[in-house]
Amino acid sequence: MSVLEVRDLHVRVDDQNEHKEILKGVDLTMKTGEIHAVMGPNGTGKSTLSETIMGNPRYQVTNGDILLDGVSLLDKPVDERARAGLFLAMQYPAEIVGVTNAEFMRAAINARRPDDDPISVRQFIKELDHNLALLDMSEGMAERYLNQGFSGGEKKRNEILQLLMIKPTFAILDEIDSGLDIDAMKVVAKGVNSMRGATFGSLIITHYQRLLDYIKPDVVHVMMGGRVVKSGDADLARKLEDEGYTGLRDELGLDIQLTDEN
Amino acid sequence: MARVKPFTTAAALATFSADRHETAPLAELRQQALAAYPQLPLPTFEKIRYQRWPLFNGDLAPEQAANQTATPTSELATPLTTTDAADQEPAMIQQLDLQAPWVQLSAEAQAQGVVVLDFFQAQREYPELFAKYYGTLAAPALANRLAAFHTAAVNGGLLIYLPAGAKLTAPLTLELTQSGDNGQLYAQHLLLVAGENSEATILATRQTTTAGSASANIVEELILEQGAQLRYTAIDGLKNTTYLARRAYLFADARIDWALGEMNDGDIVTDFNTDLVGKGSQADFKAVAISTGSQFQGITTRLTNYGLHTVANILQHGVILSDATLTFNGVGHIVKGARDSDSQQENRVLMLSRTARGDANPILLIDENDVRAGHAASVGRVNESQMYYLMSRGLSKDLAERLVIRGFLGSVLTEIPVAAARAALTATIERKLIDGQRHRDRAQ
Repeated sequence: MSVLEVRDLHVRVDDQNEHKEILKGVDLTMKTGEIHAVMGPNGTGKSTLSETIMGNPRYQVTNGDILLDGVSLLDKPVDERARAGLFLAMQYPAEIVGVTNAEFMRAAINARRPDDDPISVRQFIKELDHNLALLDMSEGMAERYLNQGFSGGEKKRNEILQLLMIKPTFAILDEIDSGLDIDAMKVVAKGVNSMRGATFGSLIITHYQRLLDYIKPDVVHVMMGGRVVKSGDADLARKLEDEGYTGLRDELGLDIQLTDEN
Repeated sequence: MARVKPFTTAAALATFSADRHETAPLAELRQQALAAYPQLPLPTFEKIRYQRWPLFNGDLAPEQAANQTATPTSELATPLTTTDAADQEPAMIQQLDLQAPWVQLSAEAQAQGVVVLDFFQAQREYPELFAKYYGTLAAPALANRLAAFHTAAVNGGLLIYLPAGAKLTAPLTLELTQSGDNGQLYAQHLLLVAGENSEATILATRQTTTAGSASANIVEELILEQGAQLRYTAIDGLKNTTYLARRAYLFADARIDWALGEMNDGDIVTDFNTDLVGKGSQADFKAVAISTGSQFQGITTRLTNYGLHTVANILQHGVILSDATLTFNGVGHIVKGARDSDSQQENRVLMLSRTARGDANPILLIDENDVRAGHAASVGRVNESQMYYLMSRGLSKDLAERLVIRGFLGSVLTEIPVAAARAALTATIERKLIDGQRHRDRAQ
């Protein structure tokens, strides 16, 4: 069993666009075999949390720690974290001309294997065909340039395809449901559910409860104002759907201005 | 302009000619060039400041070098192998420094009368070819200081002659090696004459074994007679300060397909030039280049449409690491009277570090109305979000970078028609990138 732990995490952004503290002490522990959901209103730091766990250099950790099986990840660059078992399905995956999807996925798989033991072509193609079929993707998608000219929905599916091929220990899905219609969302959920098991854990970031109808979470965390303000089981998500974030805030007596609140 | 002290005396040069049994016309031309070159201006290439480079260094004639015959040696480059025409052994030509070449012609090349000779021997055996084409059309002997210096100092080289109608199915591979560290000027000349309606594929590699202070001044002149079709691939891996002229002259309906890989490690200024003189002639020029360390590669490619219905295309992509510089000049010139001609070009440069310097200058000179012309150019950096994305899947920074670069250069590579050339170039690119990254990663 593996454990991913976020302890009292404080994160700032300082660049030409923004200077501010976004995370103000996040605590969260998840284990393989579990699916956690993080919900919360806009601008509350959900994406910052996922990008910081992955190691996006844009975000500066000013306090706290992120540990994988007790080992701090803070001084490790993004590629080392990935090889240690983390995966982030991104909201806005980059487009890269000239590098095919298949070539990229093979490189990613081989990056986790010893130099003298790359995955065989036969094995790779077998897994690729299986996963393409699972996600209702055409075989042609594998030979297209990485995300180049993909529609929003194709990009999301492609993130899940990579997840299935790379088989990380912990996958963070950052608003994988945004911009997806119901059918596409079902396909994405099918992909994630196929990964469920004792050796896989996932942190699903979402605005809406709807995705959680298809991927049932074991734990739901609600973030507001840069903190986790409440955790519970799947019922918490349904309750939020009914009462909204302001309802929960008022119930908890929090003094937080929500971005989209009028 | 600063006065230049000639590199040798007229008497010493006459002795040099005599020792090599040079023909009278060439010996005279050499003397003329020696007198002329100090006064002649250096050629100018847009945004390439090479004027202070040591381009005139090294001994003309080292002891005991003349008239040795090379033997094939495993120290030379691994031969480019080809799968294009499996039945035919490729013709193989190797030349080390100024030595006479080692030549092994394929059966088809022999049967069709292909000639490959050492520069000095060729002058004596084919005086009429030299009178017609040496320093006359493709690379005028006294055009500027670098050209005239070459004419005065040329101390080794080759003639390749494809008789009219010769059609080679297998490529002719050329491996030209400069020792680099023996203090010897490398003024190498290649005269290639493709007779009427001949067809051939050349796979050339040029390299320097060990970097040194002696200069290289290399001139290749290619004459394509009417209807000749030449596919010319060259991978250059030169280490000393180098002037490299690769110039072609096309008669009617001739066609040349260039595919060049500028993978040099030293400073280099190139003069790639094709004159589309005969009507209906075509030139397709593709190049990829990688600059690493602190080197400077200045690459100027000029295609000039003189004839009616001529077609000229330039496609150059380059990548820069560390503190290196890479400048691409693409010059498309359509002269008055070249009606119904076409000149297109694309020059793109990708910089991988903040200290890399790059330029992509498309220059279109159009003196005729009834033509088509176009250009595209860009200078960009590897996008941080692309790197983050690739690395977030576990790829190391170096591998992620190489993937982005391969993608960037791939749009040129996939256009190269000869499979063996594509494979050789891809392998060289990978090697040069890994070396460049190692060098950089050590410096950090």
